[in-house]
Amino acid sequence: MAEAAVGGVRKTDTARPPRLSFTSKKYLTYGVIVIMGILVVLVFQFDLSFMREWLPYIARGTWFTLILCFGGIALAIPLALLGALGRLSRSGVLNGIANFYTSFFRGTPLLVQIYFIYFAFPQLAFKPGVPDFLEPFLVYDVIFAGILALGLNYGAYMTEIFRGGIQSIGHGQVEAAHALGMSAGQTMRRVVLPQAVRVIIPPTGNDFIAMLKDSSLVGVVGTVQELFNRAQVVGKAESRAFETLAIAALIYWFLTGVFSFFQGKLEKRYARGHVREEAHDG
Amino acid sequence: MRRMRALVLVSMLLLVFAAACGGGETTAGDGNGGNGGSDSGTAGKEGNDLLAVVKERGTLIASTDPAYPPQSSRTPDGELEGFDIDVTNEIAKRLGVEVEYETPPFNAIISGGWSGRWDLSVGSITITPERQKVLHFTPPYYFTPASIAVHSESSDIQDTESDLDGKKIGVCVECSYQFYLQKKLNIPGESPEYVVDDADIKTYDTDSTAIQELAVGPGVRLDAVMSALPTLEQAIGDDVPIKIVGAPLFYEPLGVAVDKESPEDPKAFFEEVSKIIEEMHSDGTLTEFAKKWYDGTDLSKKTS
Repeated sequence: MAEAAVGGVRKTDTARPPRLSFTSKKYLTYGVIVIMGILVVLVFQFDLSFMREWLPYIARGTWFTLILCFGGIALAIPLALLGALGRLSRSGVLNGIANFYTSFFRGTPLLVQIYFIYFAFPQLAFKPGVPDFLEPFLVYDVIFAGILALGLNYGAYMTEIFRGGIQSIGHGQVEAAHALGMSAGQTMRRVVLPQAVRVIIPPTGNDFIAMLKDSSLVGVVGTVQELFNRAQVVGKAESRAFETLAIAALIYWFLTGVFSFFQGKLEKRYARGHVREEAHDG
Repeated sequence: MRRMRALVLVSMLLLVFAAACGGGETTAGDGNGGNGGSDSGTAGKEGNDLLAVVKERGTLIASTDPAYPPQSSRTPDGELEGFDIDVTNEIAKRLGVEVEYETPPFNAIISGGWSGRWDLSVGSITITPERQKVLHFTPPYYFTPASIAVHSESSDIQDTESDLDGKKIGVCVECSYQFYLQKKLNIPGESPEYVVDDADIKTYDTDSTAIQELAVGPGVRLDAVMSALPTLEQAIGDDVPIKIVGAPLFYEPLGVAVDKESPEDPKAFFEEVSKIIEEMHSDGTLTEFAKKWYDGTDLSKKTS
């Protein structure tokens, strides 16, 4: 009740502290939701033994999920770097290429891109008049098609991240580097990029985690038995969509947690020397 | 700036090079020796013979959709099992090669143009003249009746001849059941009687999905499903809440398919597989498999 107006400024209530802290309430709510989910499974008699029986087979699909997203990010990062340099370039030609790349791959759905690379390219390969030597460039194995699509797609989105990161390095440093006689290439390699990395890591890490989930789209094609595809096929055949998809969802969630944890570590490492230290006593 | 440009060009070339190498990766999978060979399609030059390529490779690459019990489904160890699987394994054995499985979507199989990714499909595919434009079909390896199922709690559909008109009927997309409901089913040797008028056709990627949709509730998403009788009976056996209504509406011959547009000449391969199918009929192997998977019913012989 102690709300006193003192010279126009309100003093807020200093009541007794709540029994549970904010953090405890947060985690408690989280836990309650999880427990409710478990109760739904138990009360409505979803088939737990079925889940246990099929867990190994479905979980093994995670290998392909990981191959797809690690492959995808390995392709996306150089593409993003090239794209960013292209967009920052003073050359009209390079700028045009980079602009087309980002526009097209951000402007078409990832699923369409996957289907295009896997199904549409081969159609081109066998058209009359198309030379044979082009065939390996057009007919892709589904995992490579998936990695290619993921890499191209995410590379386009990450181009903006990289561009922002590069531009965030103060122009004064670039000028100083030039003044010291460094070429544009040297400046980029030795001054700008090493510092840009720190800025780029958090959004890139987030994109990697997003790619983990988007790898499920490659499973829609059907030919690669990654996590989602396995859950879906078994769920259909055995009429247990809930059980199988719940397994898949939980595994994606778990992996996201693991990747987020490592991303946090990576961010901390690169932030060394840039974050103000806590004041110490004495 | 010149060096930057060189760097960019070199990177582009590297990507192109990676694409070239990428064509050779494998899609390993669980069960049956993994699936997907590394040189499917890219191994043969034009003019090569598919049969020779398969024998040299030592492996038959077959396609299947493992969401279609009892023809094809997964076991918890990741192996494949089913009538179609048994037939495929037997064909490979008689060709003297091992077998590997790819799992493309069904409509990718029936549209042809497999780009050499797999050699044949023992996928319970109905033989129709439209499909015969892009696929070679062996003589039928079995016949399956097409039936109607409704939700087990539904009561408004009793007579298939009159009660299905205008109802929401689920089918797998581009399947013979869809063509039947569209009244344009073309089966050599059959003239099906179209008893369903103005069906509200709902298409799904495969029969199992349509069955799940029916099971949601009577009339909730679907009023009925039209599919192969063994598949419907399998679902009932798995406690899916559906029931069969009426007698089968037609019988369909199912053949093994080979891609007409295969990069390697498929003629000799196709003839060899056709011969094997006929042998499997005459020596009783197909009857044995059919009885195993279809509750003692020999679907490999044509019934009325």
